[in-house]
Amino acid sequence: MRFEDVSLTKISETAWEIPRTGGMLVPGLVFASPEMMEDIVRDQALRQVINVAHLPGILHRSIGMPDIHWGYGFPIGGVAAMDVDEGVISPGGVGYDINCGVRLMRSNLTMAALRPRLPELVAALHREVPSGVGSTGFVRLDRKELEKVLSGGSRWAVSAGYASEGDAEFTESGGRLPGADPDAVSEVAKKRGFDQLGTLGAGNHFLEIDEVVEIYCPEAASAFGLFRGQAVFFVHSGSRGLGYQVCDDYLDVMAAYTRRERLDVPDRQLACAHIASEEGRRYLCGLAAAANYAFANRQLLAHQLRETVQRALPLAPRDAGIRTVYDVGHNNAKFETHEVDGRPRNVLVHRKGATRAFPPGHPELPPAYRGVGQPVFIPGDMGRSSYVLAGAPEAMRLSFGSACHGAGRRMSRTAARQSMKGRSVFAEMAKRDVLVACTSRKVLAEEIPEAYKDVGAVVDVVDRAGIARKVARLKPAAVVKG
Amino acid sequence: MSGGAYRLLPHTADLLVEVRAPDFPSLCARSAEAVFSLLTDRRRVRRSERRSLDFASEPPEELLLSVLRGSLLLFSLDRFLVREADANMEGGGLALAVAGEPMDAGRHSICREIKAVTAHALSVKDGPSGFVARFVLDV
Repeated sequence: MRFEDVSLTKISETAWEIPRTGGMLVPGLVFASPEMMEDIVRDQALRQVINVAHLPGILHRSIGMPDIHWGYGFPIGGVAAMDVDEGVISPGGVGYDINCGVRLMRSNLTMAALRPRLPELVAALHREVPSGVGSTGFVRLDRKELEKVLSGGSRWAVSAGYASEGDAEFTESGGRLPGADPDAVSEVAKKRGFDQLGTLGAGNHFLEIDEVVEIYCPEAASAFGLFRGQAVFFVHSGSRGLGYQVCDDYLDVMAAYTRRERLDVPDRQLACAHIASEEGRRYLCGLAAAANYAFANRQLLAHQLRETVQRALPLAPRDAGIRTVYDVGHNNAKFETHEVDGRPRNVLVHRKGATRAFPPGHPELPPAYRGVGQPVFIPGDMGRSSYVLAGAPEAMRLSFGSACHGAGRRMSRTAARQSMKGRSVFAEMAKRDVLVACTSRKVLAEEIPEAYKDVGAVVDVVDRAGIARKVARLKPAAVVKG
Repeated sequence: MSGGAYRLLPHTADLLVEVRAPDFPSLCARSAEAVFSLLTDRRRVRRSERRSLDFASEPPEELLLSVLRGSLLLFSLDRFLVREADANMEGGGLALAVAGEPMDAGRHSICREIKAVTAHALSVKDGPSGFVARFVLDV
């Protein structure tokens, strides 16, 4: 199969190879069904998989997940692992919203009991949890405290009384990336971070109340504390303006390095530096600091959500039982051990719009999940379904321990808004039994369900490919957006 | 065309913006205004404060990127909204003068969050009918 100048070889019902040509150092590998590939070829995402395959030190494959779509530099849904000696790190392989991610919180509540209270609960969440552009958090940080956040991530939140030990334990990397250096974060980035901790932001970020409607794997569901009919809560946000600024700042640094070292990269947004270089090491320090800010941000949002639900219902914390199932990012670059050419190696894995998905037995998982694999959350659109999966063994062989991160857009924002002319998002969502509160109606129109691929089809691909298995399906009941 | 000076081209996830102007300084000014048109209803922004930004000499695409980033920072850092912009080449560099006011939540609504101006697919072309810029905003 060919699309424009891209040659695609179908290697299974769920995977396609882009053979190595020109300056590609490795082939491309894209997970998708034949039907999904018809959507994927419509934009520049496959060209971007090829571009990433040109990066120095890339190992095995340049990988695309089934929710892949056009990004900048890397595609959204792109994964690339780099040799730590010869390879590079690229801010374009992480994205502007460093460590943007998703937290799922379970509860003791059933949706049947909660549904009559949803209108007041959604209003309270929209009022109490800062969302939208320009919103500020309830915590005011001075420089010293901000630096503690950048170094400590969720550990800072535990010490400040906004998180339990359990919250931190059930967060990727314990909610704190090592190597963070506040001095690697610019003054402009810090200024953007002082008042945004604990804010949701806008765009596709959200709080969501869902019902567990289907269980596929009772063992994993039980380990994650999920049961049918249960009310659960999603938090989707990232490192806010501080993270965007760190990315922007280091793109300039990397562009200078790329020119100076005459690195041959096919897209300027793939500007990069060798991992071992001063520029590469500095970016990794800034990246870890911004990632820690994101962990702390989601923790504060979770804290606000928990407090608001308990106050609104009202319920004692023990009765509400709102606990973190897991918190995992989908925009990051991390050092991990993977088997390459038959031997374990320390590599740097870029995941841009891709979720870490470690299988059962992985030593980095909390003991409670080691028997079933790492929770992987795949929010769909706000009208249909979201999924909980668990990392599976093939992820380590095929995708450097990675799975998809969402449904993936299929419609531009302009097209989505135009398709909503004369229609009411609120009314249409109400017909689907979904309550919506939002700050910007324009953004809401851009987030309509048909703007996204069918998340069920995306999840089926990763399940059938063996990189993550389905655990539970969730149905949205209420959404709060910025 | 949207707002008379820019238009959005198809892009799956972000905003691909096209701006046209008769000369390069105007292209930079109209591009800065386009960013603010995508943030808010510029007609509601008063011209009560003036600010100026100076950019060093660079190739046109780099200069436009600097202008766009600098303009977005006016909002990201100081919550300053731009009603209109004017630009001139000075000493090889570019001087951008903007008129606007700090955001007032009672009068201004912000339509969307613009995370960053990306360098991906950024282009500046000089043709017989003037200058055309294209750039992608991460939203």
